Amino acid sequence: MSDTRERQQSEEPLPLLSQPVSRRGFLKAASLGAAGLYLTQLGCAGGREGIRKVVEQTSAYSGWTDLYRQKWTWDKVTWGTHLIDCYPGSCLFRVYTKDGIVWREEQAGLYPTIEPGVPDMNPRGCQKGACFSDVMYGPERLRFPLRRVGERGEGSWERISWEQALTDVADGILDAMEEVGPESIIYETGPGNGGIVNGPLPGWRLSRLIGATVLDTNGMIGDFNVGLYETFGKFHFVSSVDDWFHADLIIIWHMNPVYTRIPSAHFIYEARYHGTKVVNIAPDYNASSVHADLWVPVEPGSDAALALAMCRIIIDEGWMNREFVAEQTDLPLLVRLDTNRFLRETDLLSEAADARDDQFYVWDQTSRAPAPALRDTLRLKTRPALQGRFTVTLAGGEEVEVTPVFELLRERLSEYTPERAASITGVQPSVIRRLAKMVGEAKRVHILQGWNANKYYHGDLMERSMALLLALTGNFGRKGTGMRGFNTGQVQVGTLVKDRAGIEGFIDLAERALGVEDELLEADPTLTEEMRAIGVEKAEAQRRVLLPYPAGPLTVPAAFYWYWHAGYDEVWNRPEWSDPAMTRPLGSYLEEAVSNGWWDGVALPPPQRPPRVLLEVGASTLRRTRGGYKTLRERLWPKLKLIVVVDVRMSATALQSDIVLPAAGFYEKTDFRFPTTHVNFLTFTDQAVKPVGESKPEWEIFSLLAIKLQERALARGMTAVSDAEGREYRLDKLVERFTMHGALREHDGEALAEDMVRDTVRVGALPERTSVKTFRKQGIVRFTGIGQTAEGLNLATDIKRDETVSPLRWHVERKVPYPTLTRRIQFYIDHPWFLEADEALPRHKPNPRMGGDLPLSMLSGHLRWSIHSTWVANRLMLRTHRGAPFLMLSPGDAAARGVTDNDEVRVYNDFDDFHVRVKLSSSVRPGQVIIYHAWEPYQYRNWKPYDTAIPGMIKWLHLAGGYGHLSFWRNNWQPQQADRAIAVEVEKATPEAVT
Amino acid sequence: MAPRRSATTPLKQIAMVFDLNKCLGCQTCAVACKVLWTQDEGEDYQWWCTVNTMPGRGHPKNWEQMGGGYGSAGGPVGGRLPTRAEFGGGWQYNYEQVYTSKEHIPLRPIDGNGTTQWGPNWDEDEGGGEYPNSYFFYLPRLCNHCTRPVCVEACPRGAMYKRPKDGIVLRDEDECRGYRFCLEACPYKKIFFNFAREVSQHCILCFPRLEKGVAPACVRQCPGRLAFVGYLDDEDGAINKLVHRWQVALPLHAEYGTGPNIFYIPPLAPYRLNRDSSLDESTPRIPMEELERLFGPRVGQALDTLTGEMEKKRRGESSELMDTLIVYHWNELLGPYTRDPATIRWR
Repeated sequence: MSDTRERQQSEEPLPLLSQPVSRRGFLKAASLGAAGLYLTQLGCAGGREGIRKVVEQTSAYSGWTDLYRQKWTWDKVTWGTHLIDCYPGSCLFRVYTKDGIVWREEQAGLYPTIEPGVPDMNPRGCQKGACFSDVMYGPERLRFPLRRVGERGEGSWERISWEQALTDVADGILDAMEEVGPESIIYETGPGNGGIVNGPLPGWRLSRLIGATVLDTNGMIGDFNVGLYETFGKFHFVSSVDDWFHADLIIIWHMNPVYTRIPSAHFIYEARYHGTKVVNIAPDYNASSVHADLWVPVEPGSDAALALAMCRIIIDEGWMNREFVAEQTDLPLLVRLDTNRFLRETDLLSEAADARDDQFYVWDQTSRAPAPALRDTLRLKTRPALQGRFTVTLAGGEEVEVTPVFELLRERLSEYTPERAASITGVQPSVIRRLAKMVGEAKRVHILQGWNANKYYHGDLMERSMALLLALTGNFGRKGTGMRGFNTGQVQVGTLVKDRAGIEGFIDLAERALGVEDELLEADPTLTEEMRAIGVEKAEAQRRVLLPYPAGPLTVPAAFYWYWHAGYDEVWNRPEWSDPAMTRPLGSYLEEAVSNGWWDGVALPPPQRPPRVLLEVGASTLRRTRGGYKTLRERLWPKLKLIVVVDVRMSATALQSDIVLPAAGFYEKTDFRFPTTHVNFLTFTDQAVKPVGESKPEWEIFSLLAIKLQERALARGMTAVSDAEGREYRLDKLVERFTMHGALREHDGEALAEDMVRDTVRVGALPERTSVKTFRKQGIVRFTGIGQTAEGLNLATDIKRDETVSPLRWHVERKVPYPTLTRRIQFYIDHPWFLEADEALPRHKPNPRMGGDLPLSMLSGHLRWSIHSTWVANRLMLRTHRGAPFLMLSPGDAAARGVTDNDEVRVYNDFDDFHVRVKLSSSVRPGQVIIYHAWEPYQYRNWKPYDTAIPGMIKWLHLAGGYGHLSFWRNNWQPQQADRAIAVEVEKATPEAVT
Repeated sequence: MAPRRSATTPLKQIAMVFDLNKCLGCQTCAVACKVLWTQDEGEDYQWWCTVNTMPGRGHPKNWEQMGGGYGSAGGPVGGRLPTRAEFGGGWQYNYEQVYTSKEHIPLRPIDGNGTTQWGPNWDEDEGGGEYPNSYFFYLPRLCNHCTRPVCVEACPRGAMYKRPKDGIVLRDEDECRGYRFCLEACPYKKIFFNFAREVSQHCILCFPRLEKGVAPACVRQCPGRLAFVGYLDDEDGAINKLVHRWQVALPLHAEYGTGPNIFYIPPLAPYRLNRDSSLDESTPRIPMEELERLFGPRVGQALDTLTGEMEKKRRGESSELMDTLIVYHWNELLGPYTRDPATIRWR
């Protein structure tokens, strides 16, 4: 049957986008072969050729039951998983192929029992994974390179050859280099196609070799847990999902696991049957509330007040774990009351004595004097005071009063009585007390939090307050405890940063990294392994030290690009949508941050080098950038001379681009889902069938682009190009460098996979002798270690053969310091901006009125029916809900506006408006409206998505730097856009708008 | 017309238990079934297995009000035949138009007036009650493979039968002429008419899989690990334990009289809140009448058993019931059907 498809492609005129032959047509033809029935239904499916084949097949018909038996047959089974940014994802599937077409997929169900007495992970999967085959062959699938023929966004396309497409892209890039410089090429990666061999990484390698600006995906999508990072100096720590089973209190707080953790949610409910209490804190009675023992409805954005009131009760009732607090946190550190800054060695000793400004002190109750807080261990050698005011003499002889952070915290918590918290949160004081008691009495508390809090403007304050609650009760670093970020650092993606393939390249890279570490150790011999690895990341971000020749940045935060080039200066400088604590416009803070050198090396592209080319892989920037569909199209698009989208499916950005390149899908290439510790396995997907249409794996696409770029550059006489800082990128050596000196050509994706597996074995994260062959045999391999990258080391735990994974255990068990400025879990941030904002300690702040002074608060979350935008426009998934975007509204708010269920409404604020149909539910909190995320703009009237009404503000404090852990490295410290609690109003759509 | 095949008592009865306290409403069961069985002509709108939010109108819309089952005289009662619109769904979309549209026409159904009005999961997450005492739960439904299948009795062609070896209710599609008496009679309305082929269809309980020792797709693919399959009569099996020994798994609308063989562990819910937002620990959030209407008078006892056993676990005591529901090993859900389908070689 696959022959038929190929023949059709070569002989008959084809539609550009929708599939020439439906998958269903093939399946039907295949299933009908036995029966010879229903020939009339064949229609065009399979064409004349298809009918001939069906008719010529002879097979005895032995009753209707055989038709069903025939359906459930296949010729070939391969491993499959979904290369998509889903947490955790990494679900092992079997892909069943029949007549050269992937017919269906089913979970493999092969996860072993890890820890005796803990349920296994089977079968892992969800409704999306169970029908990727429908996306694979569906009408949204991209099959051929396309070039725009009319204006952008006019929907006029021509099919072009790969040769033509690559020539156009190469010429556009070279034009931009000649006109502006290499930084004007913007490379944006996305969650849409996340293999580790293919997906975003090959384009990233090429972008670095030409000095392009690679934007940081994690910050752009808003999945950076800012509050955790401020507190721990990292957020890449996460337990495996089966570790949830160990908790005896699970608080689902800023997460909707029933929507977003479908394959893992069973552990919550199995834990409940095992004796665990389950609490859900959320404004709405959502799908994850229904199976809780206690649901606590809160006012959106008030969570910090709730957590702080609980902290106060924990302390007042004597439920605090003093030992943990004294040892693991900064709460014993002394703060000067005259400056509100930590007492530092530079205060106590003269400059000449090499005094450190990152040596802090506790008040030793034994010696009744300040004692240095040890920098090389958390192990206490003193009895630090948590309370009291003390006098110390500074180097100049001046006497100042100091007090432990804990004392300041007590003062702050005095503002959070249960009664006052009740007035902010809407939660009854008795319920707050009850919650606090549950936390105080539980032995193991796990807060299941996702990436929701951090999408609020003041989400960092919420996360810091929640972390405080768990730190006060000692709920980190043990089984069944903690909060969660993510971690993809166990696999050695560093393979893609190597100059040479194989062990030689591995050694080169390791030597370069060790060189950086030596420099760091010279300055500070107390640095831990984790701190040194972060130091290497920071050195690479600022100085680019890991390749033997100049390279572009690993990634840069998008904030500067947005502010200088993409029109966000107008948005972010609006004080009425910002925190009133700001004393000046955001732009002024941004300029100060840049001039202070806090973002050296990564504030790109510089103002004088405007963007000219946007190249994105599986990203869809117009969909995901908050307010982007309005601001980017109005302000950035006119500056861009070439927009290239590489994707598996037609995205909103692809529709507004110049060239669309089709990428091979998840079952069409050999790859691994980028792993995350949630599921502590590396998961394999194999090529079940050849890439659909003319699509190609990304490794091949970017290999060919490298060849084409070099060829076209040399034809122009360009052998190199320089960036604003004078780094020279050699275009005449591009192919040699991209291919690791010829080791990995365009069809060597599997060899790259092999190298990556070998490198991961070399860092001890996979068992000895693991190879691609191992994966082809068993589909998954469990990680045996956390690797040697900074992100991997952020887990700070050993991976044990027969235990669930609980992070941070090195800190708690071995007393290894945390990578914060104070080397402790840090609740007090004495950065001048934080002091100015009165955010040195966690507190509650109301949501800024982003969008205007309007009565409804628009919230969001991940949709149940898609992973980002993949599947969101899939016909099968559309048929499982209302088939179009909807806004959830409470019946009372609807009635007050004359709106009934399924009406179309206009949602508006001072920024913009959009149209959508409403779904009424009494589960929605009055005053709240919910629109789940990742619908394609083209699913809305006039293609105006809900993101249109989101201004996309950032919090100015996240531009701070020059302060210990508050400095950028890949995926980490950076501003991200707020999109929760947007002020809107809803009105019934006028008939003119609807028609 | 062929003689009516009588409903025979099967040698063994296959059954399923769905634990509603683990159901995620994710529809993986529905999609697994869909991708496997109903992707042919006339099947776009067919969802042999669906998960609905309760309380709700369900699929087809308001099916509980459509009647069917057995009359007082003991014979089949023809309920109302649901219309295609009451099933809804199955939409075809204008992708080609969208992707080549200058006017930015949105993605929408080609049929109807360009909007959707009802579908298999239309009232998802709506539920009942008044905020903050809103409530809902998920109810997966498929053919009940009843012990007294009224569809079999209603079929004038004798096309339907209850398979003796395991009690699966099937329809001989060669005999079926699409009269839809079965659909009128089925009080659960879990039968679909194929408008293209003009035959009726319903869940075949994945009999081709069972024949090879593989669990039905809805069970094997359920990520919430809440669907058990096995034989009611197997005294060591989870089904028997849950239905008979612990009596926590109950049939849906037993009063319809057809003897359904799909059972449900009824749903618990979080505490209610009083007017002043304090906790009300005495009144269940889901009104008991609502649950009794669905699962009968024994539902209160089943919930008491569940909460009692949960409390035991919280006190650190052991509970066989809880351990059964936890499902430490996934295979415990699959009864005798634990074979990995990928190990089958067809040629």
